[in-house]
Amino acid sequence: MIPRNSTFQVAFLGLLAGAVFSSTANAQSAPPTDIVFKNATVMTASHGAIEHGSVWVHAGKIAAVGTTVDAPASATVMDASGKWLTPGIIDPHSHSALDNDVNEATSPVTPSMMMIDAFDNRDSALYFALAGGVTTELLLHGSANMIGGQAVVIKNKFGLSRDAMLFPNAPRSIKFASGENPKRVYGSRNQLPSTRMGNFEVMRQSFEDAKAYMAGWDAYNAKVEKKDATAVVPKKDLKLEALADVLRGKLYVQIHCYRADEFLTEEAIAKEYGYKIRAFHHALEMYKVAGQIAPTGTAIATFTDWWGFKDEAWDAIPWNAVMSMRKGVRVALKSDSNDHIRRLNQEAGKMVHYGGATEDEAIRMVTLNPAWIIGVDDRTGSIDVGKDADLVIWNMDPLSTYAHAEKVYIDGDLFFDRSMLGFGTPHFSGAMHGGDGFGSDDEDGD
Amino acid sequence: MTTARTATLLLFSVLFAAPGVHSGAQPAAAQSAPIAIVGGKLLTVSHGTIENGVLVMVDGKIAAVGEAGKVTVPSNATVVDAHGLTVYPGLIDPDSTLGLTEVAADEMSNDLSEPSDEIMPHMHVADAFHAETELIPVARLNGVTNAVVAPGTQDSVAGQDIFIQLTAGNRDQLILGRDVALAMNFGAEQRRRGGRGSSQFPSTRMGLITQLRQNLLDAQHYEAGKEAAKKKASEKVGDKDSGKGPDKPEERDLKLEALLPYLHGERPVVVGVYEGYDVETIMKVAAEFHLKVILNHVTHSQEVLDEIAAWKVPVIVGPIYDLPRANERFDAVYTLPAELARRGVKVAISSAEAGGPGGAHTVRNLPYAAGFAAANGLPYDDALKAITLNVAEMFGFGDKLGSLDVGKMANVVLANGDPLDVRTDVKQVYIQGVAQPMISRQTRLREEYSK
Repeated sequence: MIPRNSTFQVAFLGLLAGAVFSSTANAQSAPPTDIVFKNATVMTASHGAIEHGSVWVHAGKIAAVGTTVDAPASATVMDASGKWLTPGIIDPHSHSALDNDVNEATSPVTPSMMMIDAFDNRDSALYFALAGGVTTELLLHGSANMIGGQAVVIKNKFGLSRDAMLFPNAPRSIKFASGENPKRVYGSRNQLPSTRMGNFEVMRQSFEDAKAYMAGWDAYNAKVEKKDATAVVPKKDLKLEALADVLRGKLYVQIHCYRADEFLTEEAIAKEYGYKIRAFHHALEMYKVAGQIAPTGTAIATFTDWWGFKDEAWDAIPWNAVMSMRKGVRVALKSDSNDHIRRLNQEAGKMVHYGGATEDEAIRMVTLNPAWIIGVDDRTGSIDVGKDADLVIWNMDPLSTYAHAEKVYIDGDLFFDRSMLGFGTPHFSGAMHGGDGFGSDDEDGD
Repeated sequence: MTTARTATLLLFSVLFAAPGVHSGAQPAAAQSAPIAIVGGKLLTVSHGTIENGVLVMVDGKIAAVGEAGKVTVPSNATVVDAHGLTVYPGLIDPDSTLGLTEVAADEMSNDLSEPSDEIMPHMHVADAFHAETELIPVARLNGVTNAVVAPGTQDSVAGQDIFIQLTAGNRDQLILGRDVALAMNFGAEQRRRGGRGSSQFPSTRMGLITQLRQNLLDAQHYEAGKEAAKKKASEKVGDKDSGKGPDKPEERDLKLEALLPYLHGERPVVVGVYEGYDVETIMKVAAEFHLKVILNHVTHSQEVLDEIAAWKVPVIVGPIYDLPRANERFDAVYTLPAELARRGVKVAISSAEAGGPGGAHTVRNLPYAAGFAAANGLPYDDALKAITLNVAEMFGFGDKLGSLDVGKMANVVLANGDPLDVRTDVKQVYIQGVAQPMISRQTRLREEYSK
């Protein structure tokens, strides 16, 4: 895994450097071009842990990782003796920094809602998460709607501008939901849906509408192709266009879903309409049907030990994540909470307790696996050459209750330093916004 | 003497009996034979750590604690080999709603707050406590053997707490103490703005405090009236003042009567309060009426910690996971237990999660909250004490629970590591010397779907 040809690395990475610098253009000071972390326990998340390991960061990317690295003499050396180094923590299910504009709960189908339109880059929830080592978040629509809005992927570069916090060229995700929340929200208003029957029929009808919409455009395009003068341009409809993108496979489908029967129904509908489900979120009953779901390739983003907060969480067990993983399901842990997002490393630690995950498996649940769910696993989520230098230095094994994120780097730039006075944020000063609520799915605002 | 192997087999037979065992409903059995836990690392809480220790449990109590070789193991004892394990007293959650809720969103399963009035001291948690709740075995599996159960937080005076044992059994067997404390709250939540209609008193903190003071004065007046009536009744009819002697049957006001033990300072009042200025306001009332206060939460009270220390009141911190205000440092709340302990305050830590009314489903995470307090500056021994001995002492069980000491109830936990670490697995829980089945509804589901 350790490339030996450092000349090649520098040449290759030099091409990337321009892009990296432009994305951090409004940073207060440019980060050093070369940093070497030495003597850390490096949890790579992709290929095990390296005792007394080193990581060379060049121009915001990981240039080398191993017991030794061939960094230039000019590199800034960080002695990490006795420390742990991990990839940045990634939360695939957050509703932070949206000022509680989580749900457009005025219709069960709102696929054209764009979460970026509500994103407040100065919300303190981002800072608290950063102090817990979180470097990437998928900010999702809530679960009031069967088909909710489109997510925004951020890098937690707290202190930079809104645009500078967006994860460049991240895949688009859309949030679906099933079960109690949609039926409660609309049922309480005596609207469709008020049952799971209604829930799924609303979905099917939406996709039928999208198919008709696509057919209309296909017919128009065919006429244009044939230079048919009778071609009349159809109306561009934001809602149907978004649904069409689901059917075209252009959107990653992220589904809020608790019960075993609903995983099966969702998979059947996806098959019927020809799209793939990227991940079931919450997925508390996956342990019941993991063997059936594993072949579909759908991942889960689950709570570790939340249970009993509503009927569809009554069969939740804390062994769900590890049991599902053992059956071949890709498992990530997530917060769905402005509280838990600050200590996802501890949530990973619980997986050692609940089911006997190895430390390697546990750390992967909060790094590489959530990166896959978001679709950025080729760029972050593990300590591998060529990936973004999103790194956290911990004072001890991050799976311990006692661990602190001491320093958090994103694209090789220091965004949190616990030892700094004040907030510990080299790029942020001034006033934060309070945001609202606990950043949970269930804040449907109705 | 039974061998360790036999003891292990006994534990396994309990495990294999799982599907037929109902975790809550069977009556609590008494300890039948002495048990000696041998070779473990004992965290005594009261007198340090014993690396290679022996703990003997007889008739539900701790009969001996000490280093291996210095403790006599009774010849008829079942020996449990605890080499490589950590042995510590059962954990105690100072602020839970166990048995008052089952499925949080299912209102019919909740008996938390009685919001028809703000002053409800005559609500007894004992009357609603559901001993067979599925939540208790779940909490027990992580080493929690005792808890305070308090009502929800909607009322200024919410009702009276119970102190429970998380054993299997019926309500009377689980409740170790009823009406052990009065649950009070003061702050924004109790104002009911918009809830009962804004025209209804009280809608402000001024209203809440006035109402509270009036009720406490009414209780004192009620008691004075009762005393006077009693005195009058004891005087002979026919004395020259014809107004003397019993004139009407006694009318009891249960609401005001419920306040009397607390006005006498006989039992503690647990005051849930978050803001520093609210702490100062409610403590003035407490001083006026000589209430024996335990402060709860104090989440945003960083600026009055010295005052709290000067009042010499114990404090329950929780949830340690409550979010700081915007523009506060990320660890403003995490460091509260350490900051209080540094000032000499006796600290307990609760399992509650941010935004919740006290832990119920999250009670099993109690040790992790204490561990996180330790991670943020609270000395380790204080962290362990904050979920054991300090809680027992605050609620009047200091002579019975909270440490590994001779004569105390044998509520003892065996785990494969540091009890406060999230990675640690609890292997066995004893309550009054009885090995508890390490089974919950959740382990049964796990077994069912692991086949």
